[in-house]
Amino acid sequence: MTGEHTKRGSSGINGKRALPRRDVLALASAGAAATLPVFGRPARAAEPVKLGWVGPLSPPGGYAEGLLMKYASAMAADDINKQGGVLGRPIEILYQDTRGMAAEGTAAAERLCVQDKVAAIFGEFHSSVALAEMEVVHKYNVPFLACDVWSQEVTAKGYPQVFRNSITFPLLDVMIGDWIVAAGFKNAALLCEQDDIGLAWRKGVADVLTAHKTPFQLYTADPQATDFTAQVLRLKANNPPFDLFLVLYGEAGAYPMTRESHSLGFAPTANTALFVSGGEAVDPTFWKNVGKAGLWLICENVGLPKSAWNDKTKAFVAAFNAKYKTDPPGSAMEAYDAVWNLAEAIKNSGSTAPEAIIHGLETLHWVGTRGLYTYSTSKDPAWAYHQYMDAPESILQYNAQDQSSFDAPIVWPKKYATVPYLYKKPTA
Amino acid sequence: MRAPDILLSLLLAGLAAAFPFLVNAYWLHVMIIGMIYAIIAASWSLLAGFAGQFSFGHVAFVAIGGYTAGILAVSLHVPLPLGMLAGIVAAALIGAGVGWTCLRMSGPYLAIFTMAFSEVLRITIVTENEITGGPGGLNVPQLFHAQTDLPYYYLILALLVVSVVGMMLVLASRWGLFFRAIRENEQAAAAAGVKVTRFRILACAIASGVAGLAGGFYAPYIGILTPDVASQDQMGLVVAMAIVGGVETLPGVVAGAIAVEFMVEALRSYGQWRLVLFGLLLLLTMRFARNGLLAPGWLAIRRLAVLQGQRLIRGTAD
Amino acid sequence: MLDYFLIQSANGIVIGVIYALIATGLTIIFALLKIVNFAHGELYMMGGYFGYYVITLAGVPPLPAVVAAMAISFAFAVAIERGLLTPLYSPGMERKSDYGILITFGLAVFLRNIAIIIFGPFPLRPPSFFDGDLVLGGLIISYDRLVAAGGGLLILVLLIFFLNRTVWGQALNAVSQSRESASIVGINSERMYMFAFGLGGALAGGAGALVAPIYSLSPSMGLVPDTQAFVIVILGGLGSVSGSIIAGILLGLSENLFIAFLPDPNRGPSYANAFGLFIMMLVLLFRPTGIFGRHHAAME
Repeated sequence: MTGEHTKRGSSGINGKRALPRRDVLALASAGAAATLPVFGRPARAAEPVKLGWVGPLSPPGGYAEGLLMKYASAMAADDINKQGGVLGRPIEILYQDTRGMAAEGTAAAERLCVQDKVAAIFGEFHSSVALAEMEVVHKYNVPFLACDVWSQEVTAKGYPQVFRNSITFPLLDVMIGDWIVAAGFKNAALLCEQDDIGLAWRKGVADVLTAHKTPFQLYTADPQATDFTAQVLRLKANNPPFDLFLVLYGEAGAYPMTRESHSLGFAPTANTALFVSGGEAVDPTFWKNVGKAGLWLICENVGLPKSAWNDKTKAFVAAFNAKYKTDPPGSAMEAYDAVWNLAEAIKNSGSTAPEAIIHGLETLHWVGTRGLYTYSTSKDPAWAYHQYMDAPESILQYNAQDQSSFDAPIVWPKKYATVPYLYKKPTA
Repeated sequence: MRAPDILLSLLLAGLAAAFPFLVNAYWLHVMIIGMIYAIIAASWSLLAGFAGQFSFGHVAFVAIGGYTAGILAVSLHVPLPLGMLAGIVAAALIGAGVGWTCLRMSGPYLAIFTMAFSEVLRITIVTENEITGGPGGLNVPQLFHAQTDLPYYYLILALLVVSVVGMMLVLASRWGLFFRAIRENEQAAAAAGVKVTRFRILACAIASGVAGLAGGFYAPYIGILTPDVASQDQMGLVVAMAIVGGVETLPGVVAGAIAVEFMVEALRSYGQWRLVLFGLLLLLTMRFARNGLLAPGWLAIRRLAVLQGQRLIRGTAD
Repeated sequence: MLDYFLIQSANGIVIGVIYALIATGLTIIFALLKIVNFAHGELYMMGGYFGYYVITLAGVPPLPAVVAAMAISFAFAVAIERGLLTPLYSPGMERKSDYGILITFGLAVFLRNIAIIIFGPFPLRPPSFFDGDLVLGGLIISYDRLVAAGGGLLILVLLIFFLNRTVWGQALNAVSQSRESASIVGINSERMYMFAFGLGGALAGGAGALVAPIYSLSPSMGLVPDTQAFVIVILGGLGSVSGSIIAGILLGLSENLFIAFLPDPNRGPSYANAFGLFIMMLVLLFRPTGIFGRHHAAME
């Protein structure tokens, strides 16, 4: 087996059989590891339904979120296969690391569409990468269910192949902006990482705050930064003082910033609230990293709030906890439901053909861990096209250290709220 | 050129022309990316391997070429081919400037200076997002309106052949001799009458211009240009490609770049293990096959072919 | 305003000491082996994780764990040196600096990515050295930062003492100046190379363990210190330990003041890393071997 692959793999590059022995060994291991199938194999009858997952699994991408989404996808495939698969065929997921880089996303999507001939692609975490992948799926007409990408461009482009089951910035920013106004904040500082996620988030929130005439100031910093002392001190010294500190950062930056902001007496304090956006505050090692600095911290949650959980949510949370010893964040629920969404779409339309899956998703009416899934076909506004319009989103504020995000009081929106107040000032 | 070389060149030309019809669209895409890297790695090799200036910021010129073409096309609606030409000129001019700036530097100082240049450029692209699109990327229009990558393939093939043959001609000329003289011993070269300043800058300008060409092609091909084209990771990849091919032969570097790109893609199905394996492979190659894998391999094959040929001739004579 | 300046400066110096600690390791490795260690930030990352597991698995208190992390980092670095760097010492080896850059670059890619698999992708944080903050008027510094800076200074003082006053230290210095003369007086230079790489790894690892409670540990944490350490060693002059210490503290200080006072607060922090790089490029323009650079440090 190994020998054959080596021969085939190297025949394109002037044949290497005459190399010194050591080099042959190195190449053989490379070739064997690669199992380079240059020519596609013919399909067999009992073949599994292949789905492709794309997302970051290594730096500079958001590899932490990527890995959790990968775990959840694998669980979904297992659960579906235990029930006999779809159309009598098992589901198989092929995982592709895109590293948060557009060119990697293009190559990954090309591979999944052309080489692996997947029925559909799902996943991703970085909007800029999703936008590059979309061009490929559009070219080959392969359905793409985007999960944790929030840029409105993804659905606004209007590609019939592209769907999204996560929230998008217009939905999130409006919610955050409405809450800021309702809770009565007067001067906000927005600090985000200088990357596609941070900038898109910042623009959206800034637009909403401008519309509400709430004063705010914008700051950005290097996504790899971990020392925020100078920045936080500068914010603390600002005149007029900020009463809300809104942050969007990856885990590696958000945690030290939260600790620093707390220890320097900036936020969360009686004077200034701290809002950590982007999901870091509901991730597994949050409390371990921030300790008492996380008390009274505010964040959004894109999973279904506990008060609205159905049986599937309960079962998934329990299973995820048993397997990975941590609560699944909302993004993991998105990935889990995405596999189910695709399976349901295939089942309902009885085929894995692209048009059948697209039609199956457009007519989907299915309850998953994040509630009832339907995909809009309206293009008004443009980003609504193929968007899960009822994607759950809520704002929570911890009121105890080491609290599970599921048990934290929900302060916004009113339909999910579990406490009468909109914002609780830290005491002392 | 000796007979085996001519034979191989013909064989390769035929294979290159027929390649798109032998593989599916995915491997064609990989090949195109591999050839872009081949241009970058070959130009780096001219600078580092032949002219002795170990730059760790060469990818900055890929970014300059790409962003010049992209920004001109997006903001000023300049036709892409013109923008790509402007990108080459910009990269060569800035490359000459950097070459002039670090005339007195060598070894690790030069490597770190060029790395710093490329990092500062990358951070600037990230931060000035009103013009560059920032980390969200710059959407560059397509060069061809075709459903397949075929036109891109033949264009990059032509660009690769022209640039590599061009650089080989430069290296075979008196200029190439001067480059190597400066690499071996700058003082001695100067004493022998080589205009060290002029030729150091010239090597930088040529290599940077060629890198700019690769960037100018990359931008419309991928369609979205992000600042990480100038990241240190990319630089390391380019250097690794050149090393695997054997820095001292440009065709070897080209083969190395394409081989490494195919390997990196083939490792794709290994998820988070992919870069672990890639790092390990780089370590093993460096540790145990420092002169590269491909160029020595080709030499060995050629020796064997000549030997076989002689035996064959002797056999028929008997 | 003066208060604000003083507070920002004090914090800048604390950060600068940690920078200095990382950079001295890099400069010692360069002085002896004449290579730029591109995996230095990854040794810093590994040291942090070593410390974390010594605390959580072996139950060692945080402060002694820093010492343990340095010891493990030393052994780890020596193993790397034995496995990957010995070709540098063979007399026939050409272009040592290229080999050094590439092999350490490959090592960095390998370590950064295998760390995600071994340690998990989410940040980990060991317990604090001491809980709480020091409050002096407007100045607030967490005890963790004070311990990191104090511990860093102590290590640096011990290092300078070691290099100048002990036989091994003087032997290191001798080999860094001339390998041939050192071997004439009977110093085994290869053993010194091994020791220098181990020492550099221990310093980086110690820095990683000291900052772990402040910054948390993540597999990609070595990326920024890597570039900053390059800036520092160039400013301080490759191979000069005292130069690195001074340059490290100065960089920490000036970066902080840059963020604190830049008129455009929106862009400031984005350019913070570029700021140090830019200063370094300027210095190199006028002194191609750094501020305190020794000329023999230029590559042969």
